[in-house]
Amino acid sequence: MSIEKIITLKTSRRSLLKGAGGALAAGSFGFSFPMPAIAKETTWTLANSMRSVANPYHATFAKGGENFAKSIDAKYEMLVTEGNSEKGISDIKALLQRTGGKLILNVDPNDSPDARVIVEECKKAGAYVVTQWNKPADLHPWDFNPNYVAHMSFDGVPTAKTIAGELFKAFGGEGGIVALGGILSNVPAIERKLGLDMAIKETNGKVKLLDFQPADWNEQKAFDITQAWITRFGKDIKGVFAANDGMGMGALEALRQSGLAGKVPVVGIDGIEAALKATEAGEFAGTVAWDPLWTGGMGLAIPYAVATGKVDIAKEPKEHREFYGTGIIVTKANVAEVKKGGGALDFNDLWGKATGQIQYRG
Amino acid sequence: MRAQPAHRASVMGRWRDWAPLAVLVVLCLVISLFNGNFLTIGNLLRLLNSAAIPLVLCMGTTFVILMGSIDLSIEGVVAVTAVMVSLLVVNDISPISIGLWAVPLAILVGGILGFLNGFLHVRLKTPSFMTTLGVGFAGIGVATAVLGGFTARISDQTFRFLSLGRVFDVPMAVWIALGAIIIAYIIQERTRIGRWVYAIGTDEVTARNAGIPVERTRIMVFMIAGLFYGLGGVLLAAQFGQGHALISQGRLFTAITAVVVGGTALSGGVGSILNSVVGVLIVVTLANGMVLMGIEPYVQQGVQGILIIIAVALSLDRSRLDVVK
Repeated sequence: MSIEKIITLKTSRRSLLKGAGGALAAGSFGFSFPMPAIAKETTWTLANSMRSVANPYHATFAKGGENFAKSIDAKYEMLVTEGNSEKGISDIKALLQRTGGKLILNVDPNDSPDARVIVEECKKAGAYVVTQWNKPADLHPWDFNPNYVAHMSFDGVPTAKTIAGELFKAFGGEGGIVALGGILSNVPAIERKLGLDMAIKETNGKVKLLDFQPADWNEQKAFDITQAWITRFGKDIKGVFAANDGMGMGALEALRQSGLAGKVPVVGIDGIEAALKATEAGEFAGTVAWDPLWTGGMGLAIPYAVATGKVDIAKEPKEHREFYGTGIIVTKANVAEVKKGGGALDFNDLWGKATGQIQYRG
Repeated sequence: MRAQPAHRASVMGRWRDWAPLAVLVVLCLVISLFNGNFLTIGNLLRLLNSAAIPLVLCMGTTFVILMGSIDLSIEGVVAVTAVMVSLLVVNDISPISIGLWAVPLAILVGGILGFLNGFLHVRLKTPSFMTTLGVGFAGIGVATAVLGGFTARISDQTFRFLSLGRVFDVPMAVWIALGAIIIAYIIQERTRIGRWVYAIGTDEVTARNAGIPVERTRIMVFMIAGLFYGLGGVLLAAQFGQGHALISQGRLFTAITAVVVGGTALSGGVGSILNSVVGVLIVVTLANGMVLMGIEPYVQQGVQGILIIIAVALSLDRSRLDVVK
C-alpha cells in the first residue's frame, strides 16, 4: 500500500468518526427533550387475543378490553387467531418483540395446549398474562409467578343445571324435552350436557329427555334437527334445551315454522343479543349471560394492577388465580336490567365477580 | 346424445341416469318402515322447507361443476347478501328499510360477486378453486367488518313472509326454490349458455375450436351462480330472521355433496339440474331420517359417509373415465 493511500484512508476514517460523534451528540440532544404531549400515560401496551370478532361473544370481549384501556389511557391492540393456533401464538410473539415485553395480555387461547406456549413466552419476555376458558389442567398461574397472573373460566355444569331448571319451570315441570349439544369433544359441551343430566335426574322422572343430538354449535343444523324432532315427537316436546344460544335460535325458528314459537319454550347459554330479545318476547325461557365485557376488561385490569405494583400476585390466594366468573341467569324477570348492562364496571374491584376456585373434573 | 354400441350398455346408461332417484326412493321407504310419521304431509313439507335453501344454492353450483370448475365462494357470497339484506329491511342496527326492494338488490350483489369470481378466474388464469376460495374469504371478511361481529335482527314481517308465509299450505321458501329450479332448468335446456356449459365441461379444446366463446361463458356461468347464491342469502336471512357473518357456515359442503350425490361429475360435462334436485333431497332426507329413526349421533356421520359413497358409485359413468384422480 502506498503512503498516499494510507493518508487518504486515515482522513476518511477520521471524518467518519467525526460524523458519528456529531450524530451521537444530536441524538442525545434530541432525547433530552421531554416527550411530546401525545404520549400515553402508561408505557404498557394492552392486548386482548381471541378467536374472531365475527361472533358476538368475542366482539364484546374485545370491547371490554378497549374500555379498560381507555380508562387508563393506554395503547390497546386486538389480536385475532381466526381459529388458527399457529397464527395466534406468532402474533403474540411479534407483539412481545415489538413492545419489548412491556405487554399486558388477556388471551382466550384457541386450544388448550396453546396456553402453555403463550405463558412461557410471556414469562421469558417479562410480560403479564391472563388466560380465559382454555388451558391444560396441569398448567397453573402460581407456577409462573408473577407473570402468569390468573386464569378465568365459567363453570358450565351449575349454569346449565340452573337454566335447565328454568326451562322445566316454564312448561310446568312435567313432560318430555329435546336437547341440542355442542361439538362432542368440547369441554363446555361436555359440562353443559352434564348440568342438563343432573337437572333431569333431580326431577325424579317427571322430565324425560326424548332425544339428544349434537348440532355442533351450528344454527342451521339445530334448525334441521328440530324440524325432524317435531315430526318424530310432535306434541310430546314440552321444551327445547340448547347448549348455546346460536343453536337455540335455530331451534326457535324451526318451531316458528310450525307455529310453535312461544308455545314450546327454549333455553340457551351465552346471552347473545338475539337470545335476550327472544327472552323478552317470551319465546326463550331464558339464557345465561357470561358477561364478556367483564372478562374482556378484568383480564387486563388484574395484570395491570400487578404490573404497576398495586397487587403482589404471588401473595394472593389460589381462588384469585384460577377462578370462575359469574354467569348471570337471564329470564323475562331480569332481561331488561341485563340488557342495560348494569352500569359501568368498577375496574378497581378486581375479584368482585369471581365465584370460587376452578375445579378439575376427571 | 351418446352413441350406445349395444343394448346392454344403453340399459346400464339408463340405470345410471335413474340411480340417484332410486336411492332416494329406497331411502324414503326404509325410513317410513322405521317411523310412520315420515310420509305424512307435515313432515314432507318440513323436509322440503329444509331443502329449499340448499336447492337454490345448488342451482348455481351445478352449472359451475358441469363446466368442470368448482365454486368455493358460496359461504362468502351468501354471508354478504344475507347481511346486506338484513340491514336493508326493518332491523335493529341500521335505520334503512326499503322493504322487498332489498331482495333484487341482494341478488344483484350476489351476481356481481359471481362476476368477480369468473372475471378473476378467466382474466388472471387462476384456477377456479383458488379464485373462488379467495372471493369467499373476502366475502366473510366484508360481512364481519360491516357488522363488527354482531347480529342484525330482522323485524320486517313482510320480508319474513318469504320464509314463514304459506301459500296453499306450502311454505313460501319452497315455492321460491321451485321457481329457482324452473329458471335453472330453462337456462340448461333452452339457452345457448346451457348447451355451451356441457361442451366446455366435456372437452374445452373442442368447444373452443367449435367457436364457443369459452371465456365469456365461464364468466357468465359464475355470474349466474352468484345470482342464485344471492337469492340463497335472502332466503337464509328470512328463515332465521337475522343476518350475521357466520350465518352461512356449513353451506358449501352441503351444496357440493348434494351436487355430486345427485350424479353430476366433478370432472364436468355429466349431470344436470334435475340430478342436483334429487341430490339435495337425498342429503336432506338422510339427515331428517336419521333423527326420525333415532340413530345414535355417533353413528350418523358414518352412515352419511357410506350412503354418499353408494350414491356416487351407483351413478358414476365409468365408461368415460380413463383416469381417476
